[in-house]
Amino acid sequence: MPSHRPLDFLSLGAWIILGGALLSIGAYLAWPQSKKHGRDFWLFSPPNLPPYVEAAKSWNAAHPDPDDQLNVQLIHYQALERRLIAAFTAEAPIADIVETESQAMARAFAGPLEGVGFIDLTDRLRAEGLFDAINAPSFSLWTSRGHTFGLPHDVHPCLLGYRADIVEAAGVDMSQIETWDDFRRVLAPLIQDFDGDGRPDRYLLNFWDNNFDLIEMLLLQAGDPFFDPSGYPQLNTPRHARTLASLVSWIAGPDRFCVDAREFTAGGDRMRIEGTVIASILPDWLAGTWKTYIPALHGKVKLMKLPAWEPGGRRTSVSGGSCAAITKSAPDVERAWAMAKHLYLSPDVAEAHFRATCIISPVKKFWELPVYHEPDPFFSGQPVGELFIAEAPNVPPRNSSPFLPLVKEQMMAILVSLKATAIARNQFDADSLLPEAQRLLDAAQSDIAARMDRNVLYRTPAPSR
Amino acid sequence: MKKPAPPHPRWAPWAFLAPFLLLFATFTLWPLLQSLVLAFSQTFGPKHSVFVGFDNFLFLLRDPLFWTALRNTALYTAGSVFIQLPIALGLALLLNRPGLRGCAIFRLIFFAPSLVGLVFVAMVFALLFQSRTGLINAGLHHLFPAWDPEFAWLDRHVMASLIVATVWLYAGFNMIYFLAALQNVSRELLEAAGLDGAGPWARFRHVILPEIRPVAGFVLLISIIGSFQAFELPWVLLNNSAGPDNRGLTIVMYLYQTGFLTGDLGYASAIGWILGLILALAALLQLRTSRKEEN
Repeated sequence: MPSHRPLDFLSLGAWIILGGALLSIGAYLAWPQSKKHGRDFWLFSPPNLPPYVEAAKSWNAAHPDPDDQLNVQLIHYQALERRLIAAFTAEAPIADIVETESQAMARAFAGPLEGVGFIDLTDRLRAEGLFDAINAPSFSLWTSRGHTFGLPHDVHPCLLGYRADIVEAAGVDMSQIETWDDFRRVLAPLIQDFDGDGRPDRYLLNFWDNNFDLIEMLLLQAGDPFFDPSGYPQLNTPRHARTLASLVSWIAGPDRFCVDAREFTAGGDRMRIEGTVIASILPDWLAGTWKTYIPALHGKVKLMKLPAWEPGGRRTSVSGGSCAAITKSAPDVERAWAMAKHLYLSPDVAEAHFRATCIISPVKKFWELPVYHEPDPFFSGQPVGELFIAEAPNVPPRNSSPFLPLVKEQMMAILVSLKATAIARNQFDADSLLPEAQRLLDAAQSDIAARMDRNVLYRTPAPSR
Repeated sequence: MKKPAPPHPRWAPWAFLAPFLLLFATFTLWPLLQSLVLAFSQTFGPKHSVFVGFDNFLFLLRDPLFWTALRNTALYTAGSVFIQLPIALGLALLLNRPGLRGCAIFRLIFFAPSLVGLVFVAMVFALLFQSRTGLINAGLHHLFPAWDPEFAWLDRHVMASLIVATVWLYAGFNMIYFLAALQNVSRELLEAAGLDGAGPWARFRHVILPEIRPVAGFVLLISIIGSFQAFELPWVLLNNSAGPDNRGLTIVMYLYQTGFLTGDLGYASAIGWILGLILALAALLQLRTSRKEEN
């Protein structure tokens, strides 16, 4: 029998590698790890961090017990999103409280209510009077099938931001504008061809058919949310058809007045700075973004109410949103709830957030804070907070749904298709496009409803139709 | 006569294979089986799962978005492969010319795009294709004043824009495969063909092409597989969307939207398995074709 010495199985080099690996494992296991204390709060928005850190300091000073400490951690949005998915699908560890946004919350609503990975806050909000203390529309994105799972962070009303320097130099009186038709008529002289090539070099509004955020703001402003409160789609309403058909003449045809000046792009910002586009629809958070990232617009911009779809109509819209939600893995829900309120119901935090981001608080009693009434030199000395707050109670209703990304694609596709139809027929007026808009919306409604109906875990009672 | 002793005990191979088998079973086989189970279910989190039989697959068959995604992906694959591979081969033939000066520099230049990564390329092309401020429109408008500076490349020619970006990214990468294959073509055969009166085309057709066919088959297969898995490039280039009228929607984008945006992991798994089947069929077809040619 041949004898095998154990050392013969591996070469010297392989033994060294194996030894190194074992040594590393041993060192890792033996490494002393400090015990984790306190409760975690994760957020994704960098400007929100400093006020929360300050608020956490005051909480921690008042609650010296190590297990009561509040740890605030900034996490990139995509990382937070992945961690939420991992937590809800595989019970991976996650913070006790997370500041999340609408799409992540909508995804958490994609199953039965008892399966939502966040704590139902409805009874707490009701018992503590927070449904009355906070602007009512701010709860809609965090509510599914009558249950609310988030403490709202914001309202996000929309105003119209316009190049006051250009408009005033042209002698245009913006106070004449009440509707979108007025907007087009009053500002029409500003559409100009500077280089004589036969094409305008200045347009009135930033809007295009590939920008769902703007399509959504305008459709919501018109009045119909995409889903009813039970979560059932309501895409094929006559109002949606009329609005989409009207939008075609904004982007195509002889009366076109919009241009694609997408936010967060170098090209779009250049068009804003050069005055290629006069006006943009601005939610409060975008006003803050402009202040931070487009300093060249300092003192050149003013805000006004959005033009309405019809005389006497709604003069604002809404875009985006975030909330604080308590995860089901939180060991002490009451403590987490107290921490969330400490962060979200603090006037100091609200003031600091506004200074950093222009985002107004949804807490109605804070609207009296002086900070909201200060003139802002970036916006030509206007009291920006006051202007947004004036429209906060009027933001349109909307409802959360995991199917919103599909609706988004459908609505963009419908507008693209309507535009193509208009160009092919050389007819750009809303009335001639209305039947086609209705047909496309009916098809989209059937498609989304079919997808929802086959989801046995997300059964919504179909409304009486 | 004494039987020669085996050099190692019988269990030794298994001991060496064990780490791979363990990792393969844990991170490939088990998730694969789980995704198969998932494809026949509707789930929400770890605690809510309902077996729905073939419902996900049946819905897939009548889902217009899936067919749009499949059609777009097939078009993208055809465009990418049939434009990209001839360009890659052409570049390789140019660089393989004897006596070419600066060959290493050209090789580096052509290969460089594949060093920067998909997301970077998508961002660069998104800027290039921008209407009004993009370099392409600005350049064309400068050269030809009649050119519309607002020409919306990414709206009106989604697929062409994607294919151009892909060709720019991968032509140099595939060129390296072809160049390696060309450098292994027998010089004696080429010289003999030349002495027999074969011109450049005849030498390419009857000497070079048969010699590089195995590499060409391999490059074709990995290009098809890569194109069918397209996700990052269109997702970033089209600004996290499928483009106007879903004209840039690929199968993997649809899988991602379904699984991670609307949270329907069962349906997303079904899409994944159909994609897997398509790729397996493509590989099988390629294998059979190459065997037939060898025979």
